[in-house]
Amino acid sequence: MNFLRIFARNLLRGPSTVPFPFGPAWTPARMRGRVQFKLSSCTGCRACEQVCAPGAIRFDKTPEGLRFMMWHNTCVFCGMCEFYCPTDAIHQSDDWHMAHAVGEKYGMAIREVIPYTACTGCGMKTLASAPNPIGVVPPFTPEEVEQQRNQCPACRKKALAERGTPS
Amino acid sequence: MSNFTIPVGPLHVALEEPMYFRIDVHGETVNNVTINAGHVHRGIEYLITKRNVFQNVVLTERICSLCSNSHPQAYSMAIEQIAGIKVPPRAEYLRAIADEIKRVASHLFNVGVLAHLVGFESLFMHVMEVRERMQDVKESIFGNRMDIGANTIGGVRYDIDPERIGYLRAQLDALVPDVEEIIDLYHTDNSILRRTRGIGVLSHADALDCGVVGPVARAAGVNYDVRVKAPYAAYDRLEVPVHVLHDGDVWSRAMIRLMEARTAIDLIRQCLDALPDGPTVATAERPAIPPGEAIAKCEAPRGELIYYVRMTDSPKPERVKWRVPSFLNWDALGIMLKQAKVSDIAIIVNSIDPCISCTER
Repeated sequence: MNFLRIFARNLLRGPSTVPFPFGPAWTPARMRGRVQFKLSSCTGCRACEQVCAPGAIRFDKTPEGLRFMMWHNTCVFCGMCEFYCPTDAIHQSDDWHMAHAVGEKYGMAIREVIPYTACTGCGMKTLASAPNPIGVVPPFTPEEVEQQRNQCPACRKKALAERGTPS
Repeated sequence: MSNFTIPVGPLHVALEEPMYFRIDVHGETVNNVTINAGHVHRGIEYLITKRNVFQNVVLTERICSLCSNSHPQAYSMAIEQIAGIKVPPRAEYLRAIADEIKRVASHLFNVGVLAHLVGFESLFMHVMEVRERMQDVKESIFGNRMDIGANTIGGVRYDIDPERIGYLRAQLDALVPDVEEIIDLYHTDNSILRRTRGIGVLSHADALDCGVVGPVARAAGVNYDVRVKAPYAAYDRLEVPVHVLHDGDVWSRAMIRLMEARTAIDLIRQCLDALPDGPTVATAERPAIPPGEAIAKCEAPRGELIYYVRMTDSPKPERVKWRVPSFLNWDALGIMLKQAKVSDIAIIVNSIDPCISCTER
């Protein structure tokens, strides 16, 4: 008989499901959904590629630079790439609306290239990636990031040494 | 009355996961049971040696969805032992919180499915609705309803701020009356009692013989809980009551699960009260893992889970082996199903909360 009370209460409360897709569905802010990539923050360290269990993230060298590739349909939404990214280059948004027609499957990817540039210090061909901020005290200012971006690894080290901080 | 041999499974309306039972019946009484396994073997022990230490945190999480926090936790503890990494205190508490949140959801799921198998569909839906609150908590705090991704080597991957602590406390406060109501209901409801009391009995002696673990053992009077016997994470600083019943029937196992779900809520509150400040992970960068081997164990919702990891110079483990609770518990099914009625088979199988995907991996 106890259950009749619960039954009546649940009946009065009405349905607890949401009428998706005809109405909005509740999504928490921390929901781990579609991966977003911010090219300007990427250091090219490839940590995300190494921790990606299904192999959804790949880097390859092209004539233009280092290409970041991420396949949404291979992603398992584990969040390891975001956790081990030294900058905020990779982020899982709360967007989970990823159903698509089969014909669009090759478009379900992120393809961005970190371009090659000539080092402003020595003129050597180098990747225009963001500098790695780990262990840099005080942290880089936005101007310093842009300055380091156009330098080769050796000139970056030199600039850090002149800055008087342990790299 | 004549003798028959009937198949139950591997695809069966009343079984949650694929498992094949060959059952010899005399009339409607079970005479003998043969269990055949291997329907969801995915070769994960092989796959794990083909991925590096960090990728395996995710792979172990995908072994099973209901114990999806216990697997990476035991795996991380083994790797931390090899590398000599000291997990920060805050991370230990956060690990215990994640573990207990998963335990509440897992136990309520099993108890809900019991109501479904009894034929009490409205109670099944009510329990699942109550459990849904915990699913929302997981989605809000961790970002996923099942694979919460709490653990990593050397700590945890999530943190809770005062706002989320307030949210979690409010959800727990709302959950307690519902869970207590369900406990009361399972104590008194005749539909439940008639189908579960005295069914699928596993005696204390048989429980020791089979070496069963988790709620199945505790329902048969075996006082064994890894959280108390070999504390890990923050459990040595928490007060963990162990519930023990002595009847060893389906009802006792369900009650143990319900009481543990209630206790888990208190454990989460204890963790939130004592949550220390500090880092949530030992090193921000990926630590180097030296060669070595280690064993770690933790209390998954279904019982004791043991991990063995051996590392060589390679970033990939040479061998990872785990012993899951269901492996011991399903052996006891042979004893529980003896002389049972055919209609009780599904209820008895569900009462050990079998996790085939863990066991066959």
